[in-house]
This record gives sequence, C-alpha cells and structure tokens, in this order.
Amino acid sequence: MRGHMKETDLALYASGDLSLWQRAVVHLHLRNCQSCSTIVEEFRADGRALRDAAGGLPEGLDWARLSAEMTANIRVGLAAGECVAPRARVRKFIPASWRPLALASMVTTMLAVLLLGGWLLNMPPQETQALSRAMRSIWHGRSVMQEERGPVIEASSEGIELRKDGGALGVSQDSAKLLNVSVSTQGSASAHYVDQDTGQVTITSVYAQ
Amino acid sequence: MRSKIFILALVATAAATAQTVGRRLDFPADSPVTAVSSDWSETRETPRGGAYELDVHAVLSLRNSSQKRIHGVTLAVLAQEVTPGGKGTVSVPSLDVAPGEAFPLRIDLTLFGPLGAGGPMVEVKLDGVLFDDLTFYGSDRLHSRRTMTVWELEARRDRKYFKALLETAGGEGLQKEILSCLELQRDRPSAGVQMVRGRSTNNDAEHELKFAFLHMPDSPVDPTGGTARIAGNEARAPQINIQNRSERVVKHFEMGWIVKDQQGREFLAASIPSDVNLAPGKSSQVTQDTSLRFSERTLIDSMTGFVSSVEYSDGSYWIPTRGELNDPKLRTLIAPSPEEQRLLQIYHKKGLGGLIAELKKF
Repeated sequence: MRGHMKETDLALYASGDLSLWQRAVVHLHLRNCQSCSTIVEEFRADGRALRDAAGGLPEGLDWARLSAEMTANIRVGLAAGECVAPRARVRKFIPASWRPLALASMVTTMLAVLLLGGWLLNMPPQETQALSRAMRSIWHGRSVMQEERGPVIEASSEGIELRKDGGALGVSQDSAKLLNVSVSTQGSASAHYVDQDTGQVTITSVYAQ
Repeated sequence: MRSKIFILALVATAAATAQTVGRRLDFPADSPVTAVSSDWSETRETPRGGAYELDVHAVLSLRNSSQKRIHGVTLAVLAQEVTPGGKGTVSVPSLDVAPGEAFPLRIDLTLFGPLGAGGPMVEVKLDGVLFDDLTFYGSDRLHSRRTMTVWELEARRDRKYFKALLETAGGEGLQKEILSCLELQRDRPSAGVQMVRGRSTNNDAEHELKFAFLHMPDSPVDPTGGTARIAGNEARAPQINIQNRSERVVKHFEMGWIVKDQQGREFLAASIPSDVNLAPGKSSQVTQDTSLRFSERTLIDSMTGFVSSVEYSDGSYWIPTRGELNDPKLRTLIAPSPEEQRLLQIYHKKGLGGLIAELKKF
C-alpha cells in the first residue's frame, strides 16, 4: 500500500458521513492498512466518548423550551436577511421525479466524452477519416460513400499510401522535398522526392498487386 | 479490482511497445550492387490503441560491383503482414555511378496495422538495375525495367535540350528557361486522389463522359476515342480506342488523363498504362476496371487524354519531344522528368555555374 487516506476522510468514515463511493474506497483501503484502521478506531472511540459525555447534561434542562428558542432565533435571522437583500428564489429546473433521469443523462454524456477522447487518441486514422467522411456526406445531404473493402491507393500532397485489410503501407521521405505524386490506373501510385542538398531524386511507389 | 485493471493496462502497453521491425536485405549472389552498410536507427514506433504505427527509416550504402556505369536502381519493399500482397518500391533514377563506387539510398516507410505476435517484417529486394548502355539486370517483377528506361530516355532528352540551349543562347538563355521551369513547378496544380480497382461504393447516379485528346504529331499510337463513367467526384472504367500508326508492333503504351472540374480547375489525374499487342496499322480498345475518386468539391466536368510513352515489341521506346511537351496545356500540367527535377534543384542550390558544370559531365 503506497499512501494513507486523509484524516478528514477517516473521521467522516468513522462517523458514517462519507458518500457511498468514498465509503467503498476507504473501506477497501482499510482492509490492507493497519495504520489507517487504527486511526478510524480512535475516531470511533472519541465519538463514543462524546456521546457518553452528551448523556450527562445539566439537570432540569427543558428540552422543549430550548428547541423553541433555537427555532425562533433561526427565523429572526432569516427575516433580518430578507430586510437587507431579498432572497433570490432558487428555480428548480428539474422536477424531483426527473432527477434520476437527469443523473443518468449526465453520466451518459460523461461516458460519451470519455469514449470520444479515447477514439481521437487511439483509433486508427483510417477509421476516423471514414467516420468524418460519412458525417460530412450526411451533413451535405449526399449519399454515404462507404470505405472500400478492397485495396485503396491514395495520393495527396502528403505522399502516397496503400490501405488493405485494415493495414496501411505508406512510402514517404521526411528528409526530402515532395515534388509531385501520380496515380496509375493499373493499381499503383508514385511520389517524387528531391534531396535538397544533393539534388538526388528518389521515386517511391506503392502497388496493390 | 483497480489493481487488476492497472496490471492489464500495463500488459497491453508493454505488448504494444514491444513491436519491433524485422528486416531483411535480400540481394542475389550475382547482383551488380552490394550492400556496404545499412542504418535503421531512425526507425520509430508508436502504439495506437490496438494497433501500431511504425516509421521505418533506413539509409543503405550500396556499391556498384559490376563493370558498367549504373544509371538507375529500384528496390522492392515488401511488408506482407501489414498489407498482404501489397508492395512498395524505392527507385533512384538519374544516377551515374562508376564501377566500384558507392552511393546512398534512403528507405522511408510508414506501416500501420493491428498488433501481432511477432511484429511486422520488412523485406528489401533488388527489382532492377539499369546501366548506361540501357541494359538491365533484375527480376523486374514490378516492371522497373520499363519505368527506369523511360526515365533514362527522358533524362537524355532533357540534358540534350538544356545543353543545346546553353550553346545557342548562352548562360543567360539557359537561366531564363530554368527560371521559367521553376515557376511552372511551383504553380503546377495537383489534387488528392483515391484509386480502387473495380467499382467504387459511391451510389450517386453516373453518366458517360467522352475524352478529348491532345494528338502528338510523332506519337506511334493515336487515340481515336474514349469514354469514362462519371458520378460527381468519381470517374471509373476508362475506355480508350487506339490505332498503331507506326511500322512496328506496339507492346505497351501509357496515356496521361487530365481532368477539369466544374470550377475550371485542371490537373493531371492519373496515367493509364496498357499492355497491348498491336500490329502496324491496327486498332484496339483498352478498358481499365478502375475508379478514381477526387475531393468532394472536385466535380468532374471534362477529360483530356494524351499518349505519354510507347514501348515497341523489339524493346525500343518512344517518348514525346520537348517541342511536343511545350503544348500550352501540357506544359502547365505535366510534372517534369526526374532529371529535370534534379537539374532544377542543382540550379536552386548551386546556381547557374553549378548547373553548367553538371551538364558538362554528360
């Protein structure tokens, strides 16, 4: 076990005031951490001692009167606050009966954001390009062009590439300047690069044969 | 539970980063070029989720172990685990390597594929070597003989043209022409294109569009008609009718395919190479089961074709002259030959004196 839980979390755990998720996390930690378990036991012992001490209040205390005075004081405080500045009414946008649905929507949105992030970071560029092509086609009201299943040869200002069976073979030269690309209808593409120091031309090609 | 997920993530990451590139240089025992050294140290790998992306960078030093001067080399690069059946080539034209001399050749590949057990294997083979007397050595599986011979013939044509210009118009005339070529190279339009064999999955309605042709006076093959099926930004199934007007049998020819879109932009879209066996005076029709797809805003309006090279059955070739390439349309659309590109770069780097010195070597 690398670290320990914060004492505030342990105290809240001991008093049963942690949220369900945090309670589960602290519980898992305590199973393997003797030090934190000892602290929790100490908090619990302190709690018990306080409750015992609270049992010994002054004799003759009128609980009903004390409660009424406290309620009156709170109302006076609230009325004074209204005089200084009118309280802004909190509008409840979401009815209580819809709150579980709203919570579910929020969780779904967060999951969607996570998945989208994961896609952008990890998914193959071909898949991302195919998806964006399909989205553009739908947006412009054209028929959706599906990604070809057979070999596809692509030539652009970036270089040339052969895509086949989920794999891709690109031939490019980082160190040289791309002059031009060309495609042959027999199933190949070529790119001409020139070495800027020596002038040597290198021609790279991919073939879908 | 969290620990288990963490361990699984670690294992997956380790598997992803453990992909290494297997490599093999496979030259025949009697090869006229031998590998002196190879440096693969710049190769990089990047795990991408359940896949890998590899940037393979190698610098080979090759020696001419033959008795002739080498004018071109083509290496075949195979990565069967990544693209089964797919191949790449790296060619160096416009060489002039004397016997015993060494020369560098760079291989730059990007491989992308699903994570496998052993990682991808990159195999480098010799496809062909072209000598100064136009003889050839190699397996020629990717037709490098034809390609390198055409490049060499274009190189001789262009050097001759620039040397003649130097003699008739002097350094100033040569410089003027070189500057004009540099300007054309800078302004040459280009368009991204995707090519698939067979019919594409575009469902738009298609129509037939006729080719217009640029007729070259000296071309042994004359295009007499042709069409392609057009659907928006896609063109497929080009069909060309040709006639052999030479006195020799034509074995192979290549056409350039120029496309103009509805906004008036024009660019060289592709080349259409065809194997034929066409006797003198005979006609034939060639069809290619291919689809070209351009960017979504490139809606095809018209098409033009021109013959760019011809191979006779006796192994000799025809290529257009500089005069024929000076057609106003072709001049702006066709990329210069590899030799012209090399000479322009030498001028760019070393100036007029460097270019003249280079021309005098040949």
